[in-house]
Amino acid sequence: MRDKLVYVLGAAAILLFVRNILAITGLPPEAQQGAIFKIIFFHVPMAMTAMLCSFVALVGSVMFLITRNFKYDAVAVAVTEVGLALLLGNLVTGSIWGRIIWGIWWTWDARLTSALVCWLLYAGYLMLRRAIEEPTQRATFAAVFSIFAFIDVPIVIFSIKWWRTQHPQPVFWGGGSFPPDWAQVFWLNVLAMILFGAVMCAVRLSQEEQQRELDSLRRMAHAF
Amino acid sequence: MHSLPLLLAQSAEDVAREIERLERNYKFLSYGLTVAWTIVVVYVLMMFSRQRKLKQEIANLKAMLEDKGPPSRDR
Repeated sequence: MRDKLVYVLGAAAILLFVRNILAITGLPPEAQQGAIFKIIFFHVPMAMTAMLCSFVALVGSVMFLITRNFKYDAVAVAVTEVGLALLLGNLVTGSIWGRIIWGIWWTWDARLTSALVCWLLYAGYLMLRRAIEEPTQRATFAAVFSIFAFIDVPIVIFSIKWWRTQHPQPVFWGGGSFPPDWAQVFWLNVLAMILFGAVMCAVRLSQEEQQRELDSLRRMAHAF
Repeated sequence: MHSLPLLLAQSAEDVAREIERLERNYKFLSYGLTVAWTIVVVYVLMMFSRQRKLKQEIANLKAMLEDKGPPSRDR
């Protein structure tokens, strides 16, 4: 049943992406920035999905520490890995946009720096997991680390409000607006990205379950 | 009289600059989208490869355990 749902959601995400890419191609270049502005249709949905993933990782980590149920630890690791891949996409697309608009690939601005720190923190989370053999200790340390790492997420989100940054203010939340057809494509792409993220998280979660099965089989094999 | 050719020359230059700017803009947009999709595709492929490896390892271990049989019966 879960496999079927994953296939259906995956197919829906692909169809939405195809529809959106066709729609984005048909949109005219933005008046000030030109065609490069269209990168926003991927840059922002990737960031939003990554931030959503880190929030789910926080919930999973807190729930693990409360219940000691490894199901929550598996959720936390699955969403963290997917979020990390999407945040990398966000950083790279942002850098390419910056090269055209600012004339530089990177600047140590509050938004960019906090996003990079966020990526490094969650990469550290995955490295920490690899470094600890004992499952309970690994899950506990990782959960604490994930809660600590989440402190950076509000800093990433609100940095453009708290400090004067080179990064532009958000279109929707900073007093700007999109034409209705642009907004529709944008929100549909956010939906597609969230669907894609959910599918990848489900697949990764099933891999964590398989990993646990493999660990128990290994223990049985050692018992012989 | 002299300003008309100058104006035409300037606008031709402007047009050329604008075309160059647009081309550069599209080139970088394509770079951005290529990189974003490459990251997504590489991650999906890594996920598939990990899935295959896990299934293979589980099947191997199950086969090995079945061959050996339950420990209590052997001893």
